[in-house]
Amino acid sequence: MNPLTILAREKLKTKKVTAVMSAKGGVGKSLISALFAVLHSKREKTVLIDLDIHGMSSAKLFGIENKLHNITRDGIAPFYIQGLGIITLNGIVKDRYVILPGSNRGDVMESLISYSDLRNAEHVVFDMPPGLSDEILILNRVTKYNPMIVTTPSKVSIKTVEQLLQFLNDIKVTPKYLVVNMAYINYENTIIRPFGDSTYAKKLSERYNVSLIEIPIDPNIEDFVGRIHEYNGEIIKKLSTLL
Amino acid sequence: MHEWSVAESVIRTLVQWSSKNRVIEIKKVVISVPSFSMLDVDVLREAFDMMKGEYSFSGTLLEINIKEPVFKCENCDSTFSVNDVGDQIEKIKLNFGEEYPLHLMPALVPAFLVCPYCGSHDIEVSSQSITIDKIEVEKS
Repeated sequence: MNPLTILAREKLKTKKVTAVMSAKGGVGKSLISALFAVLHSKREKTVLIDLDIHGMSSAKLFGIENKLHNITRDGIAPFYIQGLGIITLNGIVKDRYVILPGSNRGDVMESLISYSDLRNAEHVVFDMPPGLSDEILILNRVTKYNPMIVTTPSKVSIKTVEQLLQFLNDIKVTPKYLVVNMAYINYENTIIRPFGDSTYAKKLSERYNVSLIEIPIDPNIEDFVGRIHEYNGEIIKKLSTLL
Repeated sequence: MHEWSVAESVIRTLVQWSSKNRVIEIKKVVISVPSFSMLDVDVLREAFDMMKGEYSFSGTLLEINIKEPVFKCENCDSTFSVNDVGDQIEKIKLNFGEEYPLHLMPALVPAFLVCPYCGSHDIEVSSQSITIDKIEVEKS
């Protein structure tokens, strides 16, 4: 009987939950999580919880690196930006690096979920850590969720992501979308695919019966790091087709 | 304020446990918290007493034990106590004030403390979590 697990289950039991996952690092999962959460926050009360506790990219994307969460009787109060709630370990450790052994990592992740104030959330979006590790087991322990899988067109990424799809298939969890990030760049109305076409991703999506969506590269995105909620370019336009 | 969340986690656990075991009344629950989390036991007890009525645990007493964890450095194999890293804990408290991170998440301890013998962050901690050690039942 772990009180943290029980509290986390209680907090999430009436919520819609999306987990943005990738078995491979560096595929742009945090950016996709952030923009997906921004989009959903326009329609329903959404809280983004950054469970990538070593990267903590959400704080950097939204420009809240130096802020600390308020702790109230109801738990960790989310930061609110244009209606989107954000919970990040960065708001607990003040932009300090966090390196932890596996068991501690799990406890911290579970604490972050259990102690969050989710009373106002209808939809909780988790930015999951990269890789195939105990984080996925922890998520399975505390809630049912809709996975959104992020990859790039690269064969290495696709092969790694396939292992995640196999795992989800084994535990009978069906992802809704396979997001192929950095799939192409639109240069003066010419489509260029610097990392190859999405042949492997398409085969994978067919094999696992998951809808595939290609997301372009937008070089302007760098200008929005720290104010990602203001971004209205090609990436978010493409993601909005998922709504 | 974090004590309220801890109290809620204990009560939610009691709700689930009593339902699973078909227990009507719980006499006492014994929990343990790690000393370096600096939880205020008076506030924790007050929060528990305020909440327990809502969940039909009006007669349940809360007993709180403070655990003194043993730290083990995986790098140099030394063991040490909270007293050995007292100066480090004071610095964290000074830096964060009321928002002392180990209060909220004791499992963050290897990210903040280093072994006093070799300076490594590769530390294992016994008893870092809040645990429910015993539930005493009145009648079932």
